[in-house]
Amino acid sequence: MTEPSTFILILDGLLTGAGVTVVVTLVSLFLSVSLGFGLALVRQFGKRRALHALIDVYCEIMRNIPALTHLFILYFGLASIGFRLSSIAAAILGLGLIGGAVTCDLFRAGFAALPKGQAEAALAVGFTPAQTILDILTPQAMRIALPSLGNYAVQLLKDTSIVSAIAAPEIMFYARSLVTSSFQSTLIYTMVAVLYLALALPLMQAIRVLETRYGKLKA
Amino acid sequence: MIRFIQPYIDHAGEWFPLLLEAMGKTALLSVSAFALSLVFGLLLALCRNTRWRALERGVAVYVTAARGVPLLAILFLLYFGLPGIGVTFDAFTAAILGLALAFAAQVAELFRAGLMAIPAGQREAALAVGFTPYQSFTLIVLPQVVRISIAPLIVTFVSLLKDSSLASLITVDELLLTGRAMATEYFLPLQIYVAVGVCYFLIAWPFSLLSKRLAPSAAR
Repeated sequence: MTEPSTFILILDGLLTGAGVTVVVTLVSLFLSVSLGFGLALVRQFGKRRALHALIDVYCEIMRNIPALTHLFILYFGLASIGFRLSSIAAAILGLGLIGGAVTCDLFRAGFAALPKGQAEAALAVGFTPAQTILDILTPQAMRIALPSLGNYAVQLLKDTSIVSAIAAPEIMFYARSLVTSSFQSTLIYTMVAVLYLALALPLMQAIRVLETRYGKLKA
Repeated sequence: MIRFIQPYIDHAGEWFPLLLEAMGKTALLSVSAFALSLVFGLLLALCRNTRWRALERGVAVYVTAARGVPLLAILFLLYFGLPGIGVTFDAFTAAILGLALAFAAQVAELFRAGLMAIPAGQREAALAVGFTPYQSFTLIVLPQVVRISIAPLIVTFVSLLKDSSLASLITVDELLLTGRAMATEYFLPLQIYVAVGVCYFLIAWPFSLLSKRLAPSAAR
């Protein structure tokens, strides 16, 4: 049986990592959503064909290669040509760049779901094209994209666990070093699973509340 | 640019067979895990539609837990954690099992959505014209569910394929771990990890295209 003090020690270690997990999740979520929204605007409303093609290539590359491979390229690959990123910076940048491609698709689906009449009516009553996109179409597209953005946020929280592989000191990283020092692998990895669940459940709940409040109105 | 490309020309003969073999391992791992997750997922989806409330609750809890716990935590628990209580898997088995357990929840949700999309009249009509309950499910309902779910299932397969890279962290010598070993051997991490990325892309992209082709109604 495990001593209570060992339990406390492990929990303390894991909670130290939880702070980094939360920060990495929030910052890369912000980066993803900003990048994804920008890309979606250009891809959906921009006139330059070349830019469209470029964004499509970017999205395909980001979405068909594992996140861990992207992280290794950013962290180990770039360092080898003298471009050294800290592990947390590489983690945030990697997850943010991948997330930009993912959320770009979610926003685009939101815009694509709007009836054509919305833009036509806004232009007809005298809104400028920029106002039409930002004031009329964007709020509606956001509502439609909200549930899938919520799913993405939960996925991102879980995906931060892989940045332990490039030595970013989050939950999984502490878990691995605690296992090396205490050999309590069963206990520690069970606690890790419970801790992630404890972080994910409130997030899922918050998303559910947001969805009922601001989510897509029933047609 | 030349400096970036030169190593590929120099080492093509050594790298190509290594990566090709590792791609095979990744494909085997992904396909096995996906097949298993289809079986688990279908069972879970069916359990969710029974009259036994306890079973339904149990499945709902499982699906939520699988949505909230990272795959890496599941893999570490299976491979490093369970030996602590005397249950030991080899790395490849642990990876297949972990991927299947995690993705079964997603597959179950897809099947459940598919099952709900089939009008009850389909089953009732099948029973009325003399099909047994088993026949009406396998011959009438299931083929329609598969047809509805096929595009999202392929998307799920691509996610699974990408997540199979996490197996490298529990010592399965698939594509990414092979890349790591090569990176240490040749001191060319950038070129090698880019090559690994290309290998994943070559497997995943055809499936991504296929899923888009099969779902013409999706926003595109």
